[in-house]
Amino acid sequence: MLALKELLGSKLKFGLIALAIGLIVSLTFIMAAMSEGLISGMTGAKGSLAADALVFQPDTFLALERSRLTAEDLDTIATAQGVASSYGVGHAFISVDSADQPFDARAFGLGGEFEQLPIVKGSGLPGPGEAVIDISAEDNGVRIGDVVHLTPIDEELKVVGFTEGRRYIMMPVLYVDLPTWERIYVATALGRMSEQPGEQLPDLNRMTEQVSGGASIAAVHLDQDTTVEEFAESLSGGFDVVTPAEAAMAGNGMPVMMLSVNAIQVVSLVIGALVIGVFFYITTLHKTGQIAALKALGASNMFVYGQLLMQITILVAVASAIGIAITLVTGSFMPPTMAFDLQPARWIVALVAIFGMAYLGSLFSLRSILGIDPATALDRGEH
Amino acid sequence: MNLLEVKEVSKTYGSANTQVTALDNVSFELGTGRMLAVLGPSGSGKTTLLSIIAGLLAPSSGEIRIKGSPVSLRSPRDAAMFRRKHVGIVFQEYHLMPYLTAADNLLLVPRIAGRVTGVERKRADSLLAEFGLAERASHMPSMLSGGERQRVAIARALMNDPEIMLVDEPTAHLDTERGRQVVELVRSHIRGRDMTCVMVTHDERMVDEADEVLRLVDGQIV
Repeated sequence: MLALKELLGSKLKFGLIALAIGLIVSLTFIMAAMSEGLISGMTGAKGSLAADALVFQPDTFLALERSRLTAEDLDTIATAQGVASSYGVGHAFISVDSADQPFDARAFGLGGEFEQLPIVKGSGLPGPGEAVIDISAEDNGVRIGDVVHLTPIDEELKVVGFTEGRRYIMMPVLYVDLPTWERIYVATALGRMSEQPGEQLPDLNRMTEQVSGGASIAAVHLDQDTTVEEFAESLSGGFDVVTPAEAAMAGNGMPVMMLSVNAIQVVSLVIGALVIGVFFYITTLHKTGQIAALKALGASNMFVYGQLLMQITILVAVASAIGIAITLVTGSFMPPTMAFDLQPARWIVALVAIFGMAYLGSLFSLRSILGIDPATALDRGEH
Repeated sequence: MNLLEVKEVSKTYGSANTQVTALDNVSFELGTGRMLAVLGPSGSGKTTLLSIIAGLLAPSSGEIRIKGSPVSLRSPRDAAMFRRKHVGIVFQEYHLMPYLTAADNLLLVPRIAGRVTGVERKRADSLLAEFGLAERASHMPSMLSGGERQRVAIARALMNDPEIMLVDEPTAHLDTERGRQVVELVRSHIRGRDMTCVMVTHDERMVDEADEVLRLVDGQIV
């Protein structure tokens, strides 16, 4: 194997090239992990809801924050054609001021299926007044068994478990049961207005009654032979119906953010490909004499290019291993609050793209190889 | 029987006012087992002649014949295949691959042709032994002397058992005695075999080693 022998014959030179490419690969992977971290930090709790479809109040542009479904709405959805099961999901804005570092958070009320939360510490089934919270809150000083104080609504929740990958708009989500969520939601809506002296007290009972049994959205499991579109039609257009993945990418500026994230990844891949292409182009230029001699000995252009492709494959494979190692080490130093999410599936796509781009970059070298005249192996400038 | 025939070969470079004639109507024939020394000063057309015989350059006019058949090279691919089958080249600069051992440099030729089996390995070992390099088979070119590199280059040129062996300035990097030994080695190898050798040199001392001599000046035989 000529290509491998050449690599082994110049270990230092090719080792340095592999290291340089490895750094580029790690840069690409770190960018991908950061982009993925941003996406999962923004949408993790929403996009990972266990459901085939999410049902929103119509005309709320799939905004979890604005959607409101009444108890009757949830009944309508649960009994619609093609629905296997469903549960309500509530959303509320909250702030925690009892931790070492006070932080903003979101409360998600689940009407069931708490087993969908990946539990990394403690219990995954909160009772009334209890919460399972995203692990990123641990950095703010929250621990299992803590009773966190929510401000300004003056509510308390006992932390019984930590989950992971469940943030929303970069804030940790506290998962509670629906009755607890109702209490938080109403209190959040009223705020401290009730404490202002001389003002008319809101009709707390009336509001609680309106919220009771409802939720922000509904998460629906469909029968095996029912599609999301068919389910949406069966609701006669009274609701907005999308998949969790579609819901995750909607609202909160996500479409614009996705454009930027994709642009960052594409630009880093293109720059990586150009640099890799230039590396091999330079090495090709450095061995013009050898290539001329090979061609003079009868090697075809494809033979020479094939050797180059083999070298690229070996070097990029080694560089990828180096890049992955660097990324994993970097990732291990990242705090949970950092937008950094290592997604193996995304890496496979990035690896395929890096190899593809490296082969694309090799076309610079192919052009150079095609231009090398084998007669120069004999030529000494005389005729 | 004439193994190699060069018939009225000319080569010009450039066009109109800038035209340079590198070879002008050169013809010769070379029989089996014979060695031809092509002599001439720098710029006389020696290298151009060698390149045309090797199929590295196309003549402007005239033709090359091997065993009576004209060599027709329509594409670089044809030319590469022609060299793989019929030609062995010993470069002035040796052009041994620095990352391959002496044995692997010989095996480069069948590797290019896409076939390396036990037969080729045996042939490489046999040629290295013939040229006194058996002990140096696993050495890298950087570990070999100039003369040893030259012998590896000659052995490599013989790997495909060529009909035409082309040797470019064999004495350029060697002293007279070692140069003479190298040329004698080539001569003894082709003698009695179905092959011929064209050696380009500017070293008048090599004339005695060749069976035939051709002198070129300004692209013409003198």
